[in-house]
Amino acid sequence: MQGKELLMKYLGKQKGRIVLSFLSVLVFLLAQLSQPLLVGSSLDAIGRVELGVFTLDIQTQKLVFFLVTALVLSILGVIFDFLFEYSIGIFTQNIVKEIRDDVFDKLLKVPIRTIDSRKHGDLLQLEIQDVENIATGLASVFKQLVQGVLSVLITIVLMFTVNWILAIAVIVLSPLSLFVSRFIATFSHRHFKSQSALMSDLNALSLEAIGNLETVQSLEYESRSLREFQSRDEKLRKEGKVAQFAASWTNPSTRFVNNTIYAIVGIAGIVMILYTASVPLLAMTMGKLTSFLSYTNEYTKPFNEISSVVAEFETAKFSFHRIETFLKSEDDVDEGTKQLEGKVEEISFDHLTFSYEEGQHLIEDFSQKIKRGQKVAIVGPTGAGKTTLINVLMRFYDPVSGSILFNGIDSRNIPKRELRRNFGMVLQDTWIFTGTIRENVRYARPESTDEEVEKACQEAHADSFIRTLPYGYDTKVTSKGGLSEGERQLLTIARVMLSKPDIVILDEATSNVDTRTEKLITEGFDKILNGKTSIVIAHRLSTIQKADLILVLKDGNVIEKGNHDQLIHRHGFYYDLYASQFK
Amino acid sequence: MKEKVFSAIKKNGWTYIVGPAFKMIEAVFDLLIPLVMKAVLDLSFTSDLSKVDSVSKGFGHFLDLFGTWVSGNKPLNYALVGGTLILLMGIVGLVTTMICQYIAALSATRTGTDLRDMLYRKILSLGKGEREKFGEGKAMTILNSDSFQVQQGVLFFIRLGVRAPFIILGSLILSLILNWQIGLVFLAIIPVILLIVFVVMRKASKQYLVIQGRLDSLSTSTSDSLEGARVIRAFFTMDEEKKRFEDKTKTYQDESIRVSKINALINPLTFAIVSMATILVVFIGSFDMAEGIKMMGQDVLPSTIITLVSYLSQIFQTLILLTNLVTIFTKTIVSWKRCDSLLAVKPKIVEKENAITKTIKKGETIFELDNVTFCYEEGGNAALKDISFHLRKGETLGIIGGTGSGKTTLIRLVERLIDPSQGKVLYKGVDLKDYKISALRKEIAFVPQKSVLFKGTIRSNMEMAKEDVTDEEIWKCLRVSCAEDFVRTEPSQLLHEVEEGGKNFSGGQRQRLAIARTFLRKPEVLILDDSTSALDLLTDKKVRDNLKDFLPDATKILISQRVSTIKDSDLILVLEGGKVLSMGKHEELLKTSQVYRETYDSQMQKEGL
Repeated sequence: MQGKELLMKYLGKQKGRIVLSFLSVLVFLLAQLSQPLLVGSSLDAIGRVELGVFTLDIQTQKLVFFLVTALVLSILGVIFDFLFEYSIGIFTQNIVKEIRDDVFDKLLKVPIRTIDSRKHGDLLQLEIQDVENIATGLASVFKQLVQGVLSVLITIVLMFTVNWILAIAVIVLSPLSLFVSRFIATFSHRHFKSQSALMSDLNALSLEAIGNLETVQSLEYESRSLREFQSRDEKLRKEGKVAQFAASWTNPSTRFVNNTIYAIVGIAGIVMILYTASVPLLAMTMGKLTSFLSYTNEYTKPFNEISSVVAEFETAKFSFHRIETFLKSEDDVDEGTKQLEGKVEEISFDHLTFSYEEGQHLIEDFSQKIKRGQKVAIVGPTGAGKTTLINVLMRFYDPVSGSILFNGIDSRNIPKRELRRNFGMVLQDTWIFTGTIRENVRYARPESTDEEVEKACQEAHADSFIRTLPYGYDTKVTSKGGLSEGERQLLTIARVMLSKPDIVILDEATSNVDTRTEKLITEGFDKILNGKTSIVIAHRLSTIQKADLILVLKDGNVIEKGNHDQLIHRHGFYYDLYASQFK
Repeated sequence: MKEKVFSAIKKNGWTYIVGPAFKMIEAVFDLLIPLVMKAVLDLSFTSDLSKVDSVSKGFGHFLDLFGTWVSGNKPLNYALVGGTLILLMGIVGLVTTMICQYIAALSATRTGTDLRDMLYRKILSLGKGEREKFGEGKAMTILNSDSFQVQQGVLFFIRLGVRAPFIILGSLILSLILNWQIGLVFLAIIPVILLIVFVVMRKASKQYLVIQGRLDSLSTSTSDSLEGARVIRAFFTMDEEKKRFEDKTKTYQDESIRVSKINALINPLTFAIVSMATILVVFIGSFDMAEGIKMMGQDVLPSTIITLVSYLSQIFQTLILLTNLVTIFTKTIVSWKRCDSLLAVKPKIVEKENAITKTIKKGETIFELDNVTFCYEEGGNAALKDISFHLRKGETLGIIGGTGSGKTTLIRLVERLIDPSQGKVLYKGVDLKDYKISALRKEIAFVPQKSVLFKGTIRSNMEMAKEDVTDEEIWKCLRVSCAEDFVRTEPSQLLHEVEEGGKNFSGGQRQRLAIARTFLRKPEVLILDDSTSALDLLTDKKVRDNLKDFLPDATKILISQRVSTIKDSDLILVLEGGKVLSMGKHEELLKTSQVYRETYDSQMQKEGL
């Protein structure tokens, strides 16, 4: 089996609790399953059937002994049953926590490429739903499967002690109900599968239409959408009817089979009482028959529950496999050992080639030196790959060939922490996590004091809006809401103010921002750029004109470079861009 | 007709009688089988009808009738005939149950389908305002999840809703008849078991809500850290992130263990009660026998104890089933109410009975707003205040303003997605409230900023605007919206696949395709709400120029944050805080409006290279 090792690692740590749960369930089952035997014995202590006639003959002492024992055992059963279920709860949750923490740790360790290329919903599912599936699977395997198997084994032994012929009969006949339910399950499973396919079909249609209802309504597409919905819904109904009907056979059918077995055992038992009372190993009494009939029930019960366990187990196995694959994936490479001594004096791109996918080069053979204090502007139409350069620069991605040198040291030889310490960045997609404003700003330098945080916010012009919030710096914000886009941008500027990096990376694009905030943001940008080496995805003419170096990107390639005047004189692509927008 | 969940249920009303009726046949047999067994036991071991109680006597006569011609041996006859009878009852029970199961599946799926169709029709008919007020996510959940819950509820009600209480009551009554002392024991334990299960379940379900909240917070943390992967790595705060997350998983773990502690109580407690009841049954029964107490005119026999123990286990199993049923029904009722709440939403905008349509010529006034004010809530802040302007057919209106300026509200008013709180919107000289809505929707076309393409092909997307559109028409509109070039480069051309949400196109391409789609409808009024925001200025201008030739008579309303997009309009409104700051043509506004001039200047400084 795959993933055995990893599973063993998690289970191994819970050894004590697992053993405890095993012992508890054993005690519980012995206590529970001895009940029918004791009830039967009590009945036999009331009287006996001789030569086909019942005679009353109460043995009070025996009767009281059996009933008191039954009472004591049932109390014992209660305690150990609770212990059993509780300890399962504890160790599954311990395992759940450990897996969750491991997955999260891995999320922080995998290359950015993994996070960029996989759907976030998919990764989120690993952390949330898959772990839940494992918890459900583990719990049901222990609760149903372990308990079920042990219960069946103990019942078999007890049945043989009561009457071996009937025991054999039950053991041979009972799997019948299992066959029946398996047969039905396979049949209905097929229909359920196609039902759920039709269901997601229907969901997809309505999700798309409702999510974009404005478009649907503006095109007067409603009636056609409804028609399509109804026809899919009708298909779903037909399939659903068959699936639901087929699934509903299980209970009546197994009940029928079990009742039949019960009747056969009952009648055979009565016949035995009537005719074989004197045969040593077959001697049957009314009490024994009663115990036996209870055991017949106990014996068949776990079989009926197994099919539900199987489904949960399969789901859990699949989820575990997904998690295992993820945990085994490669970590981000960070093997550099060289320290950057002092400030970054020079960044040098040396024949740099980069691609996200093999063969599609986004940057090709790019060489450029940037000196300390220089301002670099990157311009180009949307989708030209402006952020790619930043990805490689900060080593979120590694170059395909060529290299980037910091003070002459290949960036691959510098530990990432050391390298990134020098950068501060404000990207267009602001990142605010769920927490207070203070926590969000302090993020840039965890050891900073409250005064430093507030000072940084003042410098970033964020202080004034923060003070108008109900709880000021302690106002809770979330990743999705609570602040306007412009305010969020101001906070990310404050972060950079706080971390005081050597090199600033900036995306000037501001969208959905009102004019007043935009002015504040622009001032903030100017402040953090002041005196720093900077690389700016430029949108403002003033930034571009002031830049020491402009890189013009088109379709992922640097097609022109130089300062504003040089580029204008070239009358190339930059000139066209400039002319179309500023003249 | 007022549609409600109940109307879908009512349509299949008969199933709620016929289904359970069939099920009752099986339930009656289930109750009788232990009695047949008892009669067989009694008769086998006494062979004397006069010594058994009246219940066994009844079956005894019956068994006697058949027994005599099986063989001469009386006790064996009773056993064989009794066994056959039980088997037959089982078979008949199986058949009637199957009929009930089929009726249940039929009724439930029909109800579900009808309900979903009703819900979907309702959602489609709602305006944006009503939808937002109700909650788009909520509507979606109601359609895709609550409707199935109602379906599930119907299924289980027909299957078990009547059977479960019937079995419990029946077992109780029969045990009271067989031995009233023991029957009283049963009467006492039923509420105790119910109470335990409900108390525990209530506690557990409250705790589940807490856990769900914790799980949501884990999910938020995870998606936060996925979205912020670059920032986390840039600041190198992996250790802090990990610690924060581990604190959360610890809380989750603690809460979950608390739940499992509560849940771990149910099974042991019910087990305890049932086994104590069994012990009590044996005790009372043997006491009765020892003392010679008579029940139903006869001595108590051990068979009575056996029968009562089997009723006890039947009651117990059905009680467990019943509590599960209660959970299902509680959920169903909640879902039912949610479905009804969606179905009860009334569209605010309704067409008047004698609504009219009208055609006008180019140059005549198409829109006239007279001191229009609009508040989203009565007595609340006005989203638009005292708006007046008029526009002639074929002219272009430009609207510029920041977020919250009232642009969107204004558009909703002219589209009649909302009605003004004060003042009038005249369309072609007619109060918009008197105009036929279906005609209005045909005449006015709107392209939102975030245009969406649907999964399918380019062609299927175009067909959404016009069902029987020809390739020629499509190409023409693609040309007008500057989308022809990139569609031509695709090998499968118009049959090129469009992924969900049009993900395989860039923002600009999506916008151009959406514009082309709208052009296909050849509207009289075309509203473009920042619909060209992702296009570069050159393409933006080209689209606008093409449009002039393509639909020369169409009235255009352009909303934009870019001055360059609207500066050639016949009339420009500068909106701020719900009011018109100034209006006029570009050149006039440059002179008269400070805000306009400042915006223009700053954009000339900035525009996105």
